[in-house]
Amino acid sequence: MSQSLKPYLTAVRSSLTAAICLEDFSSQLVERHNRPEIEVDNTHNPELILNPMVIARNENEKILIEPSINSVRVSIKIKQADEIEQILVHKFTRFLTSRAENFFILRRVPIKGYDISFLITNFHTEQMLKDKLVDFIIEFMEDVDKEISEMKLFLNARARVIAEAYLTPFD
Amino acid sequence: MLQIEQNNLLIQKTLNERVFPDGEGHKSLDRIITDFDFTTYHISTLPDQKQLILVSIYLKCWDDLVKYGVVEYLNGKYAKYADVLSVLSSKDIESSYNYSLVLDLSQLESKDDEYKTEVIDSLSFLKRHAMAAPFEQAFARYDELAKTYANANTYSEEVQAELQNEKVLVIKYRGSDECIYIKPSFDRVTVIFSTMFQDETDKIFGKVFLQEFVDARKRSVQTAPQVLYSHKEAPLDIQNVVQGSKDDENKGYVTFVLFPRHLVKGDRRDNCISHIQFFRNYFHYHIKCSKAYMHSRMRFRVKEFLKILNRAKPENLDDEGKAIENRKTASGRRFDSGRA
Repeated sequence: MSQSLKPYLTAVRSSLTAAICLEDFSSQLVERHNRPEIEVDNTHNPELILNPMVIARNENEKILIEPSINSVRVSIKIKQADEIEQILVHKFTRFLTSRAENFFILRRVPIKGYDISFLITNFHTEQMLKDKLVDFIIEFMEDVDKEISEMKLFLNARARVIAEAYLTPFD
Repeated sequence: MLQIEQNNLLIQKTLNERVFPDGEGHKSLDRIITDFDFTTYHISTLPDQKQLILVSIYLKCWDDLVKYGVVEYLNGKYAKYADVLSVLSSKDIESSYNYSLVLDLSQLESKDDEYKTEVIDSLSFLKRHAMAAPFEQAFARYDELAKTYANANTYSEEVQAELQNEKVLVIKYRGSDECIYIKPSFDRVTVIFSTMFQDETDKIFGKVFLQEFVDARKRSVQTAPQVLYSHKEAPLDIQNVVQGSKDDENKGYVTFVLFPRHLVKGDRRDNCISHIQFFRNYFHYHIKCSKAYMHSRMRFRVKEFLKILNRAKPENLDDEGKAIENRKTASGRRFDSGRA
């Protein structure tokens, strides 16, 4: 793990642990509704929303945590150094979001400016262990970078092999 | 399977079944076989004469090929099997196909097995031979030019201008957007492929691949033809003959410069022709392969992520999916969960 990654992940871990402190909360706008307050438009009571927080490793890699009384929205921007990585990240996040129902906490559409978003509600924390949820997000952030760079390396290696395989028989 | 086979396996198999039958005599046969680049073959027995097999081919770029003497070239190629294989004259060609041959099984029966296999093999190379015609012509022109300028000062302006005006052979093998351009010169033959990428991913993968093609020569295969790649803009040599959409974001041009060492007459020249005409197929095939691999890899990774997420779920759930606390103390007493 590189030098700057560790403090970044540590900061994310402790911020997430602090942010995921949720309770059941019924809607104040619509009777008998119970919805993630962070997803409700800003027409309602601002006291239910806590201060959002951005943790950035650099301009290309950051995470946005938006807590509220009964839900937390976590959005991640994944490193994309060149257009190959862009394509790979795009494909990968699309792959994940199209399987969102298996991922419970995954949001189908990421927040603008970010590549992937999670929405953790109080119902999730009731069913799942909070520490493990945080673990999941941290591990996700680590693995995604690893996976993307591995795929990129693979693509280059493959391109090299096939180029040589094509050009060699000419002689 | 790194290389793409140059012959058509299905033709080979179909004819093999016919020529070496394992059972009762001739049945009728009617089979349509498709190949790369909108090529279609039709293999059928003639009505009432089941020992005669008609093999026809349709190529999208046939009109271009005719300009470069494909008919004569193919006739020449198949002439040595004349006693079993007859080429149909232009008025007898099966409708909606470009070139037809008739294989006479009754004649072939008396030949030895080696000869039979040879005939079948050469038929399975039908598309390769058809596409080879313009290459042969361009290479023949190169021979001529090489002879003419053998002792001339090729750096003089007149000669350069003359070479610049050399005719470019154009084969629109997949419609006007994807063509092969061949330009002979006295010391090289330039082959340029124009190709379209279907989507953004293909384009970027293609770029990575082509970069490696360009670099491969510098790194390990020094004797390979030189490869150049330009995106969107056609190389100078062919700018005045390029047709179709000129300003297309998804269009790329790949240039191969074949040097005299690749054009040595005989096996090497044949090998070079069959190899280079499959460039587009090879290239796009490998782009698709990498995409498929990426896909399966992502599938695997997503499964791993799911496993990690599922670890967050406590194993014991009651009917409502809530966690049950059933840890016990050392004496075996349960904790009181406190939930009513």
